[in-house]
Amino acid sequence: MPTYHFDFAPIWAHRDLLIAGLARTIAVSAAALVLALVLGTLVGTLAAARARAWRVAATASVEMTRNVPLLIHLYLWYVGFAFLRLPPFLCAVLGLAIYSAAYVAEIVRAGIAAVPRGQSEAALALGLSRGKVLGLVVYPQALRIIAPSLASLFSQLIKDSSLASVITVGELSFAASAIESETFRSFEIYITVALLYLALVTAASRLVLLFPGAHRPALHMGFADA
Amino acid sequence: MPEVILRNGSFLLHGLALTAGLAVLAAAGGTALGVAVAAMRHARVRAIAPVLAGYVEVVRGTPLLLVLFICYFALPALLGYKATAFGAAMLGFILFTGAYIAEDIRGGLAAVPKGHIEAGLASGLRPRQVLRLVVLPQALRAVIPMLFNQYVRLFKFTSVASVIGVHELTGDAMLVNARDFAPVTILATIALAYLVCCSAISLAGRALYRRLAAPT
Repeated sequence: MPTYHFDFAPIWAHRDLLIAGLARTIAVSAAALVLALVLGTLVGTLAAARARAWRVAATASVEMTRNVPLLIHLYLWYVGFAFLRLPPFLCAVLGLAIYSAAYVAEIVRAGIAAVPRGQSEAALALGLSRGKVLGLVVYPQALRIIAPSLASLFSQLIKDSSLASVITVGELSFAASAIESETFRSFEIYITVALLYLALVTAASRLVLLFPGAHRPALHMGFADA
Repeated sequence: MPEVILRNGSFLLHGLALTAGLAVLAAAGGTALGVAVAAMRHARVRAIAPVLAGYVEVVRGTPLLLVLFICYFALPALLGYKATAFGAAMLGFILFTGAYIAEDIRGGLAAVPKGHIEAGLASGLRPRQVLRLVVLPQALRAVIPMLFNQYVRLFKFTSVASVIGVHELTGDAMLVNARDFAPVTILATIALAYLVCCSAISLAGRALYRRLAAPT
């Protein structure tokens, strides 16, 4: 086995590129997460609706979105809709957000289904409007149930954002390839970047658990929050 | 069917075959690796426990793209061998999927109620028989949905192999597009191919899960 001389100095010399890439990764992930949460909550609520037509339409769109590779979603925005001339960053955010929204929708649907039906029936009987039943009764309880799933989805999204490098977004993986082609220290750079992702994913999942209620078990009874 | 697809049909089908081959081999290898890692972690082999835990945690925290880069560029440089794109992709997919499957199976093993093991032992079964007749049948059935989710994910993720130069479906599609330029048609066609294959894998998983349902 040939001996390999580790040399991390060229990596340290390019730390500014890595930091800029890390910032870009965080920006892409955060923007895509917000959009995915909004879109996914909407579709997931429809998927849990009483009306069959809404349920079928929402479920079909979820299946069609998440059974297509993320890379194809990204190419569709970047290459397919090239005539729109969207900047790569926006293409990455849209592709990542729509792909992840399908997973959010499935989580939200399951969360709503896990809230006992008596809760929304009681709220309707008290005279709350349908919107208020969702906003004040169903969503808060569902959120506690699905918080761990959303946390792991966010980790997944951060890792998935690495594919944005393929459509020339200068995020962390893109910076890694750029530094590799300049320094040829392939092992050092890819290990460093893999560990940066690991740190980012770990930090993000810790951050989500700081969210109020994420640790608490779901409340089924009682008036503690009234 | 659009003319650009018909004209490049055999080329794209060849890509689809490579995609399917990658997915099937990596699924088999990843499952074998995952089961082995989960079994060794379950048996608490102390000498390698930290190594296995480290493997599972690090790979699950790393993007697939980076795993492929490491297998294609970094490991060959470190160990001094020449990697082909296909071989590196295969190694990467097996290592990647294996880590997730190991964690799923660990969850399945842990979910078997302790009372069942105690009841098995109390009725005179040997520990090995308890594992084979009581624990594994329940754990494997419980794990099927997660296992097939991983297979679907793997099938989609084979597209990433195109980034390191494997000419599977996505790579071929981009080549066709570079020559004939009809991006929406080409991307929609291969999206449909992925959709059909992934739905078929999901349906197979659901059918298997139902068939193995505990008699009630």
